Amino acid sequence: MITKIRRALCLSAVLALLIAIAGCSQNDDQPTIGLAVANQQADFFNMIRQSVEAAGEKEGMRIIVADAKGDGDTQVSQIQNFITQGVDAIIYIPAGATAATIPVRDAKAAGIPIVTVDRNPDGAPGDTFIATDSVAAARELGEHVIELTNGRGAIGVIQGQLGTTPEIARDQGFREALSKAPGLRIVAEQASQQWAQSEGFDIATDMLQAHPEITVLFGRADALALGAAAAARAQNRPDITVVGFDGDIAGLQGVKDGGLAATVTQQTYKMGGLAVESVKKLLAGESLPAEQLQPGVLTTKENVAPFLENHP
Amino acid sequence: MATAAAPPKTSVDAPQRIRELKNRTFAGSGGAFVGLVLLIVAMSIAAPNFLSARNFTNIMDQVTVLGILALGATFVIIIGGIDLSVGSVLALSGMVMGWLSHDGGIPLPVAMLVAVLVGALCGLINGIGVTVFRLPPFIATLAMMSVARGLANLITDGQQIVGYPEWFYKLSTARYFGIISITVATLILLYIAGWVFLRYRRSGRALYAIGGGHEVARLAGINVRGTTTVVYMVAGLMAGIGAIVLSSRLDASAPSAATGYELDVIAAVVIGGASLMGGIGRVTGTIIGVLIIGVLRNGLNLLGVSPFIQQIVIGVVIAVAVAADVLRRRNR
Repeated sequence: MITKIRRALCLSAVLALLIAIAGCSQNDDQPTIGLAVANQQADFFNMIRQSVEAAGEKEGMRIIVADAKGDGDTQVSQIQNFITQGVDAIIYIPAGATAATIPVRDAKAAGIPIVTVDRNPDGAPGDTFIATDSVAAARELGEHVIELTNGRGAIGVIQGQLGTTPEIARDQGFREALSKAPGLRIVAEQASQQWAQSEGFDIATDMLQAHPEITVLFGRADALALGAAAAARAQNRPDITVVGFDGDIAGLQGVKDGGLAATVTQQTYKMGGLAVESVKKLLAGESLPAEQLQPGVLTTKENVAPFLENHP
Repeated sequence: MATAAAPPKTSVDAPQRIRELKNRTFAGSGGAFVGLVLLIVAMSIAAPNFLSARNFTNIMDQVTVLGILALGATFVIIIGGIDLSVGSVLALSGMVMGWLSHDGGIPLPVAMLVAVLVGALCGLINGIGVTVFRLPPFIATLAMMSVARGLANLITDGQQIVGYPEWFYKLSTARYFGIISITVATLILLYIAGWVFLRYRRSGRALYAIGGGHEVARLAGINVRGTTTVVYMVAGLMAGIGAIVLSSRLDASAPSAATGYELDVIAAVVIGGASLMGGIGRVTGTIIGVLIIGVLRNGLNLLGVSPFIQQIVIGVVIAVAVAADVLRRRNR
């Protein structure tokens, strides 16, 4: 009885697999783009993925997605698979602490155009690079915090994954702004490991316990900031100003509801669309600028509504 | 001690009774209990803000989800199994709850119930995989870990769900009698129930028999398959309850929630003196294990220790706790 069920199970599994494979290998003239996503668990990357898919459909391109789940090694294999599959172009959003150079080198060796998004591998840049100017945006956010607090107070920072480019750039820009406000200083910094909301909650709770003088919490990503806002609320500290970065849907909702005082909205949909457009141009043989940096938009309660309706 | 018949009986018996009580409640976790006390003393000295009522409630809040998952895992580990899927199942339950109440228009209390049922269903599938299809527990729950995480993401295409009603948020933040929230009270009640079940119920004792050896347990008249299935179902159910707690705490449900929790859960149970070989484990031990992890994280955060060093410390604690336990058993 059990062996029969087992046999039936195996058989149906194999069948399902065959159907899936057959479904994938449609053969037509549509150009195929391999999209290597760093980590679909992060809203930010997920939104870029959605916008690339939407723009690709409009342009009549077929998009195949690979999710590296934050692991650089997995991603290298995935992009090598793209190259083996013979994709026409690759959009590469690097995963891991350092952006791997091998995908770009392999793609170039195979003559496949490659667009890098969010981060550009050191020493092996993509044909064009699309990202937010994080340093400038973080500086603007810092200036806004100075304005909100009249340049006085104690800041607790919930850092992202240490050593990653966004963490470094956001730190740099924020500190540049703070250098002009001697009354506002960073009294505590603690790193998260997954940029996750529950981490933000726990770190902020402990930070407020150790440093009750804190008046500003800066979560280096919206998820961290939302966790910090929930912690401040649970500790009954409505006086605390919480700011984030990224402008993902949840973060924008937080700004609208008042949990976050401000965030920086990265123009994710624009970046996704621009990536597809860049691929199209590269396939047509046009050359593109090495970098296409997009400004991040400082977002507060005043200007959040249109972003929520229609994310940039 | 030998002249126990003499009149000063109580004076001899009192410390003995205390020792007996201590042995009974913390047997198998004595080393870990001492470790926890030492840890609390050390943290109180090192971190000025550690020893306060406020921080104690913080720690309780921080370990609630871990504690609920660890209770289910204690049963699983006692029968010699393992459950790697609890983190993913928690995420799936949370997303189902959020989706039903936000997009489905279903009243939140009903959605909460469904979340628990989804968790139980995932656990049931794990149990059937182990008992009927004879998958090794590691494989059955590894498969569920992947499937549940995928489903959790599929529901909203990876987006998180934000904003629950005020009363829901208050479940984990409003404090009654000044210290205890509904979620922490739930944790405590679940642990009391679990402790009574394992210690005094016939079916609770059966878990140890199954962990000691399936065949022997079966010959002794225990329904091994049925019990095993129910144990995995309970672990899933706990993940469903954990989903409610986490969503309440964060005022949001995310498909990436509780990533990697399964390893923290197993670590807590093992620090508490349970054996991955099965047959050994106690609810009181798990409480200690959960608190050790909670106090460590909280204290190291208060001290501003980097997460990299925290990882090292927790790894060392797991190794030391289990090694001490193994040595103690051998010397006995």
